[in-house]
Amino acid sequence: MAKFLEYVPGDSLMHRMNPVAKVLCALLISIACFCTSNLVFLCAVLAIDFALAASCHMTKQALGLAKAVAIFSIILALIALLTTSTGTQLVALPWGYIGTGSILAAITVVIRLVACAVPLFLVMYVTQLNDLANSFCKILHVPYKYAFTFTSAVHFIPVFMNDMSQIMQAQTARGVEFDCGFVKKIRLMAPLCVPLLISSVRKTNSAAIAAEVRGFNLRTRDSGFKEYPFTLVDVVCILACALLIVVAVALNVVLPGGTIFMNLLASF
Amino acid sequence: MIYLKDFSFKYAEHDNFALRDISLIIPDGCFVGITGAAGSGKSTLTYAMNGIIPHCYPGDFYGSVVVGSLDTVEASLTDISRLVGSVCQDIDSQMVSSVVEDEILYGLENFGVAKDEIPSRVSEALEAMGISDLRSRSIDSLSGGQKQKVALAAIIALKPRILLLDEPTAELDPASSFNVFSLLKNYATEHGMTVVVVEQKIALLADFADKLVIVDDGRIRFDGTPQEVLSHSDELLDIGVNVPRSTSLINRLRKRGLYRGAAVCDVADAVRVCKEVLA
Repeated sequence: MAKFLEYVPGDSLMHRMNPVAKVLCALLISIACFCTSNLVFLCAVLAIDFALAASCHMTKQALGLAKAVAIFSIILALIALLTTSTGTQLVALPWGYIGTGSILAAITVVIRLVACAVPLFLVMYVTQLNDLANSFCKILHVPYKYAFTFTSAVHFIPVFMNDMSQIMQAQTARGVEFDCGFVKKIRLMAPLCVPLLISSVRKTNSAAIAAEVRGFNLRTRDSGFKEYPFTLVDVVCILACALLIVVAVALNVVLPGGTIFMNLLASF
Repeated sequence: MIYLKDFSFKYAEHDNFALRDISLIIPDGCFVGITGAAGSGKSTLTYAMNGIIPHCYPGDFYGSVVVGSLDTVEASLTDISRLVGSVCQDIDSQMVSSVVEDEILYGLENFGVAKDEIPSRVSEALEAMGISDLRSRSIDSLSGGQKQKVALAAIIALKPRILLLDEPTAELDPASSFNVFSLLKNYATEHGMTVVVVEQKIALLADFADKLVIVDDGRIRFDGTPQEVLSHSDELLDIGVNVPRSTSLINRLRKRGLYRGAAVCDVADAVRVCKEVLA
């Protein structure tokens, strides 16, 4: 199974798409999710997300990710639940009430965040980091040093996670018990951040030197060997995702459940 | 040619000199092995040769280091890198890509190698290191030894005039280490490349190097052919450098006056000498 943000090889449509088109599509889907509070629409987007994940044989990873995002968004859902006093009153609060609308708003927050996070993460799993950096340089003219910084940061996440795991294993071998409660585990892990930080700084320094001695400073927009042409499939996918935004905005007009601004406010 | 004259260096954050009064000449096309005890200054010596010192590690720099026709203080690190291909000790942090092919492509793209030449360079480098089958593999899925071969292939693809390797076989078993050294030696001979290797496995260096340099406490203690250097087995042991057992045995025979020839570096020669002595 792939590690966090590690490329999963495959030959699906998403694997074959232009990296820039993939990112653009994921962003358009995310924007569409923030343009409406229509629960049916958001559920439909979520279904599309999982269909895409299934097409890449990544249903399991997508479910895991959805679970993680859902847990994270529970805090936001609680805020929405306690601050959106709409619908039939169920529980009275000193500053308002929790109503049926509040529950819907909380569910909407969770589904929206999951629906917009899944495609973004899928893109990371089905795109080689080098392709992502090179295509951004070639097509969007992003300076290479910024693209390299981003890809290096993502590249080092599993490396640092592996380092942390090794440090923890070494401590376990010396009798430290990490199989304990969340708070105690955090307390045990906190001092380990120092050696991790030191090794991380060393590794990033070595990586920077290694890149420099391999001509990093000479790289230009045209240096990349591979080409990333836009195909008809890419254009169709971008148009389809743009259509999602149109549908989301139209739903807001036909079935007004809140303005775009209010949706954004509710989500954050 | 690499030419170090009265070179001394002290890291900015350290009180003592890492290297002192180093004078060394490495001729073109030479295969040089550098060894010494841990902390003796071997890696610092390679940093001086590939320009990482003084460009990346600040400190007090005395004397001069000339690589090809470039003074490492005056030339930029990028210009030095056109001449010198380096493989550092920490292979994981050297990898900038997630796939083997992209890792080989990285340097070729940066140095502006003609695009029609790139595919053949990638294939040649992979073949030279015997890892053509790993071309499409994810780097994370490789063993330490395979990663080291990928790092070597990525540098060989650049066809540098000088190859500078810091413990390139640290994660390899003895058989694979021998195999990598054989590949390197053949490739260097074919392409007239100068190779400088920092290595703890002195038996390997004795087998392959034309010249052996022993570093001790920031100074060059011995510098010569493997036979010349290994004849000082007692002094080498004193400074924490083990010599091959075959060399040690023959040196003992020399010490007792039973054999007057040069030091030997491999088992076959040791057997020959023993037979001579016994006869």
